[in-house]
Amino acid sequence: MSFVQNFPFFSIIIAMFSGIISSVLSGKKARNVTFGAILIILILSAGVLHFCSGQGSYTYMMGHFPAPWGNEIRAGVLEGLTAVFFCLVMLLSVLGGMKHTEQDIESSKHNLFYIMVDLMLSSLLALIYTNDLFTAYVFVEINTIAGCGMILIRQKGRSLSSAIRYMILSQLGSGLFLIGLSLLYDVTGHLLMSPAKEAVAVIEAAGTYGIPMLVIVAVISVGLAIKSGLYPFHYWIPDTYGYATPAASAILSGLVSKGYIFLLIKIFYRVLGQENVIASQIVNVLFVFGLAGMVMGSLHAILERDMRRMIAFSSVAQIGYIYMGIGLGTQAGMIAAIFHIFTHSATKALLFISAVGLYEVSGDRKDYKSLRGSGYRNPLAGIGFGIGALSMVGFPMLSGFISKLLFATSALQSPSKMLPTLIVLAVSTVLNAVYFLRMVITIYSIPREKEKSMKEGESLPGSWNLRLAITCFILLNLTLGLFSQPIVKAIGNGLAMFA
Amino acid sequence: MFNMEQHLHLILPVILPVAAGGAMLAGKPLKENKRAGRVVLLLALGLELLLVAQALMKGGGMVFWHLTGTMELAFQIDEISVLFAALTSGIWLLVGIYGISYMSFEHRENQFFGWYLVVLGVLIGLDFSGNLLTMYVFYELMTLTSLPLVLHERTHQAVMAGLKYLFYSVAGAFLALFGIFFLAGIAESLTFVPGGTVTREIIAGKEGLFLGAVVCMIIGFGAKAGMFPLHGWLPTAHPEAPAPASAVLSGIITKSGVLAVIRVVFYIVGPDNLRGTWVQNVWILLSLLTVFMGSMLAYKEPMLKKRLAYSTVSQVSYILFGLSVLNPVAFAGALSHVMFHSLIKNALFLCAGAVIVTTGRKQVNEMKGLGKIMPKALLCYTIVSLGLIGIPPLCGFVSKWYLAAGALASDTGVWSFLGPAVLLISALLTAGYLLPVSLNGFFPGEDLPCGDCMPKEQGKKEPSLSMLVPIGILTAGTLLSGIFPQSFFAMLTGIAERVF
Repeated sequence: MSFVQNFPFFSIIIAMFSGIISSVLSGKKARNVTFGAILIILILSAGVLHFCSGQGSYTYMMGHFPAPWGNEIRAGVLEGLTAVFFCLVMLLSVLGGMKHTEQDIESSKHNLFYIMVDLMLSSLLALIYTNDLFTAYVFVEINTIAGCGMILIRQKGRSLSSAIRYMILSQLGSGLFLIGLSLLYDVTGHLLMSPAKEAVAVIEAAGTYGIPMLVIVAVISVGLAIKSGLYPFHYWIPDTYGYATPAASAILSGLVSKGYIFLLIKIFYRVLGQENVIASQIVNVLFVFGLAGMVMGSLHAILERDMRRMIAFSSVAQIGYIYMGIGLGTQAGMIAAIFHIFTHSATKALLFISAVGLYEVSGDRKDYKSLRGSGYRNPLAGIGFGIGALSMVGFPMLSGFISKLLFATSALQSPSKMLPTLIVLAVSTVLNAVYFLRMVITIYSIPREKEKSMKEGESLPGSWNLRLAITCFILLNLTLGLFSQPIVKAIGNGLAMFA
Repeated sequence: MFNMEQHLHLILPVILPVAAGGAMLAGKPLKENKRAGRVVLLLALGLELLLVAQALMKGGGMVFWHLTGTMELAFQIDEISVLFAALTSGIWLLVGIYGISYMSFEHRENQFFGWYLVVLGVLIGLDFSGNLLTMYVFYELMTLTSLPLVLHERTHQAVMAGLKYLFYSVAGAFLALFGIFFLAGIAESLTFVPGGTVTREIIAGKEGLFLGAVVCMIIGFGAKAGMFPLHGWLPTAHPEAPAPASAVLSGIITKSGVLAVIRVVFYIVGPDNLRGTWVQNVWILLSLLTVFMGSMLAYKEPMLKKRLAYSTVSQVSYILFGLSVLNPVAFAGALSHVMFHSLIKNALFLCAGAVIVTTGRKQVNEMKGLGKIMPKALLCYTIVSLGLIGIPPLCGFVSKWYLAAGALASDTGVWSFLGPAVLLISALLTAGYLLPVSLNGFFPGEDLPCGDCMPKEQGKKEPSLSMLVPIGILTAGTLLSGIFPQSFFAMLTGIAERVF
């Protein structure tokens, strides 16, 4: 066994331990520990990715108990790639929102925020790597708690009620997920993914347990769909993303919902069997709700006057894209969906972090009027927001275009779903353009004279970490847009390894 | 990736204006210094003309980026590129010279010139594009970089006009993107080939969807060309911009919509796949509707610049009509009208701008007695107006002749004679909306309140020489290309033979 194969386990445990250590440290030290941990995990994940792209996937036995009793970790190209990407987005989000984290949160509680970040990272990594359904459930709960903590820690305004709302809907989702797991355990007798899949194959071949299997697929899908904010279960999204501290918003929208989607895809492929899921018609349900989300999320975003809530509603639409890709029920659709997970993480985090830079120079007000001309007051944030918006709209050479291209070409391969997909894709693109470009124009228009007196006209370039984070996110976006080919190939390889 | 030196002649014409424009927008020393800005502008425009000429002479093509496994960004120079790129860089230089004195009456001129240069680079990239994807990239970039020209005044109206421009363009572009995605899925390559790359076998079984995608692309790209139903932005956005910008927006940028339609229909889809289908009928109907409607609206419009913008709506649809009948003669006529309308409309907008900066008059009914103040400018205006109406021996006559002859020879049923009839009516209306300015200008009549319109102490007040000379050159171009169109049409007929 190669030493690299330990890395997935190390990453999870490092994240957890840095959380534990942070609890006794001061805010500043906790921050440094967290940054160190994320950086180390980033390097470890890159090692895993490199190893897996050379040697293929492997399962890693925890505690030397062989299957079907022990607990297992599994790593492949897709897991490695996702872990690298999530670490990168996490690092940049925390970096970019650092100044606001310190302002928004009481100084005695700074270390708590970093504990939540560490817990979040460890649970995301566990969701990515685990090969055990019950471990997945445990980390889903840890993820929820860390998420709630992140929202709640800014004890101001509506963040309290939004955290409660998030908690309730999340618990509903995890509850459904747990019911699904229990039923699955009843039917198959396994909690490890690989033996469970064999058992499912036997059941499907025998044709028994038709209704329980359908219920299992439905309940697991719906449970994780609620947690990832698929329309119409999106009510928690705008308040949560809109009122949390910016780093938390970026992490929640960029990563947390994506972690659940990744888990869902993994369960589809590694436990239930993709062909069974397609046969059960559940993908069609996801497809329809995905389409509805693409349109409704954008419509809500158009009506929104507050910049951050607008970005949050746009997340609803983008989650819809991802579920639409899954719902196409083809390999190409799945690749497009996973690529869009990356696109959306990188872009949405960029938007949230750039928004920080823009409303910093507008007296912390987030409505259209106050943001006028903020693109001149903080040029880099303006450019960052512009690039993020163009990428979301689907401008060529940015990552959003590649996503849309992949969605469209994959739609052409499934004749029955081709027309609705293409039409909704076109409609949603235009709707995206309406609110994103309107915002870009707003930040580059000149405030009217009478409003000028209302706010300080001075320009602020923002702190160094904000600028660094925005620059890195822009580069990440361009990388995804310009060098998409190897990433798409890696996703394809990773999916092949799932089987 | 590619041999840099070998392809430098294709890259440089795109990079140079963008770099020069970027330096003017960002560089501290250039941003404030008016004189340095003018020098950079003129140097860049002059050098650009030479670079484009060299690139067009050398020709060739290159792939400069592999976006995905099957899609790449590539340049390829063919005859259409030659026509559009030569026109663009030539007009840009003339309007740039004019702009130097015009913009001295405005504020923040270096910012204007910066964007002006950037748009030029993007347009040359658009003209050089070798496949649909590259063209789409530059098309979108063109929308975004030309937006600051509309927004230049930064008044509330300018911002609203800019938003309108943006939304129409983006909506159009994404309609077209839908078609591009579809074609990318079925066609083997999106590279431009005269006569099209889509064969009947490819579309067998999905004709309905294929035609739907094509009509989306025509309407979508038609938005830039001001074709009904996405024409609404044009009369709002063009007059809002400073005169040099309205001139190139009307004269050149609307033509990039035409270029995109030409590329899609004649270089990807293939005219034979559309002949006789409902798409062709819809296309003809929309373009004729736009021709008539634009003329009518222009006729009723009291503000000169806005009237000219409506006239653009109408005239660019002459071109689209010529393309839509899918006939080689009409095709040549359409291409020639691209060039002729560009010369004429630029001259008209420059004249309108000259009137505004010297007398401050914007409404058509204020133009009485203008001929006494600025006879040379008004003479040029009159000559090019006659050209646009289509009076021989001016160039508009030649292009309209080809358009009508092609339409009559085409097998499009009722359209083949209805089309030319609409063109004739519209020509009449063109005379109706352009000539009153000249008539009232030169022959104000008895009841002229002369103390009002021609202050004694000013007398003749021609615009400065650097404004008059570009107008004069454009007027001379209108005249000469109408008298000696043979070699130009030989080239156009050559193109038409290859695409049909």
